[in-house]
Amino acid sequence: MLEARLEQAQILKKVVEAIKDLVQDCNFDCNDGGIQLQAMDNSHVALVSMSLRSDGFSPFRCDRNIALGINLNSLMKVLRAAANEDILTLKAEDQPDSLNLTFESSQADRMSEYDIKLMDIDQEHLGIPETDYAANITLPSAEFQRICRDLSALSESVSIEATKEGVKFACSGDIGNGSVTLRPHTNVEDESKSTKIDLTEPVNLTFSLKYLVNFCKASSLSPTVSLCLSNEVPLLVEYKMEAGYLRFYLAPKIGEDE
Amino acid sequence: MGIKQLYQVISEAAPDAIKNGEIKNHFGRKVAIDASMSIYSFLIAVRSEGQVLTSETGETTSHLMGMFYRTLRMVDNGIKPLYVFDGKPPTLKSGELAKRTARKIEAQEAHEEAKEVGTAEDIEKFSRRTVRVTKEHNEECKRLLKLMGVPYLDAPCEAEAQCAVLAKAGKVFAAASEDMDTLCFETPILLRHLTFSEQRKQPIQEIHLDRVMAGLDMTREQFIDLCILLGCDYCDTIPKIGPTTALKLIRQYKSIEKVIETLDADKYKIPEYFPYKDARELLMNPEVVSADECDFKWEAPDTEGLVKFLVGEKGFNEDRVRNGAARLTKNLATAQQSRLEGFFKVVPKTEEELASLKRKNEEKAAEKKKKAKLDAKAKKDSKKAPRGAN
Repeated sequence: MLEARLEQAQILKKVVEAIKDLVQDCNFDCNDGGIQLQAMDNSHVALVSMSLRSDGFSPFRCDRNIALGINLNSLMKVLRAAANEDILTLKAEDQPDSLNLTFESSQADRMSEYDIKLMDIDQEHLGIPETDYAANITLPSAEFQRICRDLSALSESVSIEATKEGVKFACSGDIGNGSVTLRPHTNVEDESKSTKIDLTEPVNLTFSLKYLVNFCKASSLSPTVSLCLSNEVPLLVEYKMEAGYLRFYLAPKIGEDE
Repeated sequence: MGIKQLYQVISEAAPDAIKNGEIKNHFGRKVAIDASMSIYSFLIAVRSEGQVLTSETGETTSHLMGMFYRTLRMVDNGIKPLYVFDGKPPTLKSGELAKRTARKIEAQEAHEEAKEVGTAEDIEKFSRRTVRVTKEHNEECKRLLKLMGVPYLDAPCEAEAQCAVLAKAGKVFAAASEDMDTLCFETPILLRHLTFSEQRKQPIQEIHLDRVMAGLDMTREQFIDLCILLGCDYCDTIPKIGPTTALKLIRQYKSIEKVIETLDADKYKIPEYFPYKDARELLMNPEVVSADECDFKWEAPDTEGLVKFLVGEKGFNEDRVRNGAARLTKNLATAQQSRLEGFFKVVPKTEEELASLKRKNEEKAAEKKKKAKLDAKAKKDSKKAPRGAN
């Protein structure tokens, strides 16, 4: 059986909020290492990979590997009933038909309990090769969100060009064009407001802004976000959590040169 | 056309082989389309008030209308279509073709009669049955495709077989046809309903050959023998053998030879002319051009040429044609969104997962059967009841 107690319900709330527009149904794979999730969007352009390690829960118990097939919209409906600071406990049998969630308020003596029906989901798993990316960029997640939002007003796609000097987000659309350039800098007072660029080779790739804007919904999970790029491979957008991560992969747009 | 009842057999034995999805899920994919089949369906479906569309001079334009707009729909959704036309029919098909001709003539007569005495509904019904794809239709469609910048190929023989070869060699993602026999030609993926109109709201059906084979638990030879028993274009069937019996027989005896050996000759009359060996040969080794020799590319449309042909000769609306040409140009020029499968490979399922999937499928099938039985029983009982009351 599975029993996992999360000190702050908001962690799961934010994760589900961030991915529910990308993926409708998916399996939460539970094992003694924690809870993982991997799912592609319908059109197979983006992939979500989430991991919550067991040490992020107290206590965490999972005797057998269990796949919880969940409709994320239903899960969100239930999670909305939890306050951010509530203590959340997930419970499921070994061959479950439903997932039990309880929310306990830490101050008031209030406890709510919900069951969600599970479903059978036949999912394909993708093997993601370990990659040494040519460019690793870390920036404040609010900054990344702003860039994506601003540029999405102009165009459907953005080119991300990373060089030693900095990283340039550029787009052009019917009404004109625009670009945002960030140079590496260190904020001494607040490390999370710095922009870092680690580069082994310059890269330039084009991506759909619609998806990037969608990924930015995870901004509240972490003050910083890292973008990892290599030419001709999918972009990795990673939000680190205290005990785990939420990663998005996005296939690039490629020009017609066959 | 196609294999009788094969879809039902697959949907029962291998439900996970069939997936339904939206057309936009297939963006960025190249697809080989059975053109002859599509043109036929356009002639039947693209109509107004039951009549084929014609230009001012009375020439049929349904096929061009269908070809132009349905191809645009695919291109708008990021699909790259490649059309494949039928070559000469295999000689074995002559029996089937002769039957079709006879049916057409019959329908033609019925149509004439209906015109005199029948209702409008009858006229429409018989008029659809008289539809034939002529050489002119094919030539006009090829001319249209050339102007649109969409490539096409001439198959040496059956178009489905050629589509399958291209898909198998990885030159295209899938073969698109309504014909289920495309599966016999080993296309890894078959797409159906791709050339349907937007308004029909039909999902695009994806059939995966490997899962069909796993679900049926058959080799390709056994699968083809099953198709022949079900009824293909090349060979008659044995009377009284339907899908259930055919599946059972092939599963038990593994080949038509063995089936015939053990078959109760009194109950099942094997047709005198039953060239199943030739049919098998045709399905196993169809006459095709190897994929390496097929060269095709998508080009910019010839807008002025399109206007001249469709508007000048066929009386299409000029604004719509120009708009369509603009869409073709735009979709060719913009950077294509790639798919994740191009970079990350699907992890094959473990034995354990496969076993559990199979078990689940069997459970589902059993449940369905049970339910069907119960329904049938309930129906029977409800029929009985009033009789008992009398």
